[in-house]
Amino acid sequence: MSKTNEGSVLTQLFKTFFGKHWPVWVGGILLGFLNILLFAIKSPWGASGGIGNWGENIYSVLGVFSLENVTATNASLYGMLCLMIIVGSFIGALFSKDFALRIPPKGEMIKGLLGGILMAIGATIGLGCTIGAFFSGVPALSGGAIIFSFALMVGVIVALRYLMWEMEKFPKWSSGKSYTWFSAKGKGRTHTILGWVMVVGVGVLAYSYTKSLQTMTWFVIVGALFGLISQRSRFCIVKAFRDPLMTGESHGAVGVIAGLMIALFGFTAIKYFGIGVDVTSLRAREMTWVFPHFWAKAAIGGVIFGIGMTIAGGCAVGTLWRIGEGQFKLWLSGIGFLLMAPISKLFLVPKVDGILPQSMKFKSFLPDYIGYGGSFALVVAILLFWYWFVKWNEKTGKFSAF
Amino acid sequence: MEITTTLDCKGLSCPMPMMKLSKAMKGLNSGDVLEMLGTDPGTKSDMPHWCEKTGNELVLQEDIEGGVTRMLIKKK
Repeated sequence: MSKTNEGSVLTQLFKTFFGKHWPVWVGGILLGFLNILLFAIKSPWGASGGIGNWGENIYSVLGVFSLENVTATNASLYGMLCLMIIVGSFIGALFSKDFALRIPPKGEMIKGLLGGILMAIGATIGLGCTIGAFFSGVPALSGGAIIFSFALMVGVIVALRYLMWEMEKFPKWSSGKSYTWFSAKGKGRTHTILGWVMVVGVGVLAYSYTKSLQTMTWFVIVGALFGLISQRSRFCIVKAFRDPLMTGESHGAVGVIAGLMIALFGFTAIKYFGIGVDVTSLRAREMTWVFPHFWAKAAIGGVIFGIGMTIAGGCAVGTLWRIGEGQFKLWLSGIGFLLMAPISKLFLVPKVDGILPQSMKFKSFLPDYIGYGGSFALVVAILLFWYWFVKWNEKTGKFSAF
Repeated sequence: MEITTTLDCKGLSCPMPMMKLSKAMKGLNSGDVLEMLGTDPGTKSDMPHWCEKTGNELVLQEDIEGGVTRMLIKKK
């Protein structure tokens, strides 16, 4: 093969990945497989803990709240995983010429910050976000995750009604001066070169952990892939919940359902066969990502998180990859989230825990009640119903606002 | 092609461009053309799905200067 042909083949391959956005279901399936990989290595995907870790580090450096036992972000698996999602998305956005620093009108910035604060409150009370307590929690066969999912939907409905009211009554809140800087010019060579520099940087960072903390090497690589895949496929859980009720479109929901279905198979196998039990007890492995939030904590946290993510326009992962893409509104959501999470954990959560009895905040592992087969069938039935609903609603528009 | 109205969504991110578009299209007559200017890359992938669902026609989608995408949508 001539050099020219090799060049054109590689160019074609590059265009395949970065020319157009990928279907969301492709992203969902890939993220589902990577989530299984992460669980096989250590534990499933989570986001709110990692973002909270950043906030704790900031307060620790500032000497505020006298936080003890704060893990430095460069030693925190989930702190680094979240950071790498931003980096991975940044790389994807640079290669595809999607990157630009986008400063929205003032009203949108306020909503971004407020949404992030609400997400932090929801995640700390509900012990998880759209990733840990939903995208990983549901395949982990957690009863609390099922409650959290329905509560998210309630939050999305409430916040969507608010957004429509705002657009009708106060349209100026989402309009006004905006700025777009650093967008790709021409063929976007500068962006592409910077993208390759970032790829090398990820490789060097991953290699730097190979002698001290091998698990981190994997978390760095998988985190960057999470970010890149999410950005390219525009994988966003708020979209999955919101769009069927807004414009009636189902592709976001189908992508999330695909990812959940893939992860369900892998997670069930890991738990059922006790894969990874040499480093922990079988019971501990089974209870991985089954949090003590059934049912009230999951319900309260889910509703608040659902409202927050809809106002912000990005769930946990949606916020992270949009930060990497240069969406300033989501930068503010991230800042609101990381600054509020430690405050909520210190002052709000103990109050909620003090009010709720133990029967409203326990670990509910579905196979303990209905066996592995029953739990698997229940989750599959819920996912199939969701799929049927969004497709039926897309055709009929019965539950769509527009 | 005569443009009936222009919708400026520059600086807005998901879901505001699609919400504003859905509302604006409701006020148009069949055959009217809406020009949408936006900077959210997500709108590029949302628009074909939305047009397929609603039956409206995406006449043009082009990247213009300053990271702005211009779209022309014809109401069915």
